[in-house]
Amino acid sequence: MLNLFKIEWLKVRTYRTFWILFLSFIVLFPVAFYFSAYKYMESVSTRGDIQEEMLKSMFDGPFVFPKVWLASAWMGGLFFILIGMLFILLITNEVQYRTHRQNIIDGWSRMDFLKAKFSVLLFFVLVSTTLVFLMGLLVGFIYSSSAADMLNGIRYVGYFALMATLYLMLAFLIGILVKRTGLSIIIYFTIVCLVDNILWIIFTLKGNQLGYFMPLEPVDSLVPNPFKPKLLEKRTLEDYVLIITAFAYIAGYIYIIINHFKKTDLKT
Amino acid sequence: MSVLTINNLSKNYGGVRALRDVSFTVPEGTVFGILGPNGSGKTTLLGIVMDILKATKGSYSWMDQQHSSNAIRRQIGTLLETPNFYHYLSAEDNLKIAAKIKGKGEEDIPKVLELVNLYQRKDSKFNTYSLGMKQRLAIASTLLGDPNILVFDEPTNGLDPAGIAEIRELIKQLNKAGKTIIMASHILDEVEKVCTHVAIIQQGILKTVGSVASVMNTSTHDNVTSLIIEVSANDNAALKNILLQLNGVESIAQGENELQLTCIESMTAEQINRFCFDKGVVLSKLNLKRKSLETRFLEITGKQSDR
Repeated sequence: MLNLFKIEWLKVRTYRTFWILFLSFIVLFPVAFYFSAYKYMESVSTRGDIQEEMLKSMFDGPFVFPKVWLASAWMGGLFFILIGMLFILLITNEVQYRTHRQNIIDGWSRMDFLKAKFSVLLFFVLVSTTLVFLMGLLVGFIYSSSAADMLNGIRYVGYFALMATLYLMLAFLIGILVKRTGLSIIIYFTIVCLVDNILWIIFTLKGNQLGYFMPLEPVDSLVPNPFKPKLLEKRTLEDYVLIITAFAYIAGYIYIIINHFKKTDLKT
Repeated sequence: MSVLTINNLSKNYGGVRALRDVSFTVPEGTVFGILGPNGSGKTTLLGIVMDILKATKGSYSWMDQQHSSNAIRRQIGTLLETPNFYHYLSAEDNLKIAAKIKGKGEEDIPKVLELVNLYQRKDSKFNTYSLGMKQRLAIASTLLGDPNILVFDEPTNGLDPAGIAEIRELIKQLNKAGKTIIMASHILDEVEKVCTHVAIIQQGILKTVGSVASVMNTSTHDNVTSLIIEVSANDNAALKNILLQLNGVESIAQGENELQLTCIESMTAEQINRFCFDKGVVLSKLNLKRKSLETRFLEITGKQSDR
């Protein structure tokens, strides 16, 4: 796997679009996260009049331990869509340049090709999860008065890794099946931003929990918006149900990708 | 030993039958030409044996299948259809990727770039290359690791005349060095100039296969090899009447400016010249052509352009 990743690295090392999108995530997410925390803490500390309310926001706010992990994971997820787009691009580029054919002509098996791309997926998940962890740690230390229960919400970092994996697996599937760059990205955004949420709303308005089983909803719900009032939370399912569902989706996508790619004619 | 054995290979694209029950073997040490018009199934055939297309039916084996096909492909240099490279990478970086996948070192890269005259441009991005340069880079890539088998699909595509001559010379040299070369082409002249063996494919059907000499010598109507001679004079109509009297002239076709005679093999230019002179006609052109693969090809495949 490491050897395959080294070859993938050669492919992107001097690719400008890769660096633009990758660095956008690396830079924009921390800056936005730190800035949000700064503004939030500033606004609660200047409110002043209702002492008790203020103290509660200060000590129980989204940017202090242990809740900061959720905030970091959630905001990382917002910016992670950049990486999703980049991953689709890296897959559809291969089809567009017909290099997926050449890689196999030169001696990779079809599984090697998929494994190589999967190694890139793992790289993205690893880097972004590390960043989510570091930002949570940094902002948490800046704004928390005590680090006593700092590790309480650390599971959200793990949830972020699961979310990142599922989002990229969907991108992988779309890239392999659709093959055209523009169309793939449009379909990806449509599913991520529209289809998933609309289905969730329909099911949730009907009063059942089926909405949480829609393709990306399990991971979206594991990392809920920390600024959303508690009243809007309709979920009664346990976390572990969502985790299992997310893994089931990942396994399903992997199965479809392998099954399709091993049998198909590699054409543009 | 056979380098490649193909057994009853068929490929359908929906309703289109791109290959129908094609079988042949490529002997070691040959330059094996796969000849056929555009869309006859040449690239489909090569795509299947390189595992980028899946056959509907039939099988193939490289080197009598001593290794897995992935390991085999690493030992084959292949240029299929178009040069496939990462547009945003330099020539050198592209070759590094190919070398890594093949499991070869990078030490061959300067050598193969020199060989196709691209060394000076090794740092230029692929998308700044002209069509001919892209084609030469693809040929350079096939030579990485000095493989014993080379597969070229339309190798001279997009090259200028000097480039075409260089590549043909390169193919001959590679063959002299003991390498087996499988080459698909729709250019008859190319196959005739460089190949030792040929398979002719038309509409996915294998029409004939064998050494170039044996394919040329097996005539469709009789077994006598014939000779093509082009002649012209001031009055071609009169010349035609005279030549019809000459023994050994089988048929005469009227060209635009000359007559094309199909003669028995023993006919000589001298015989024709003397005969015409004796009849009072001075020839302005006398051109002896050995029967070309083109003639054979047209005999085998018919003359419609929609073959």
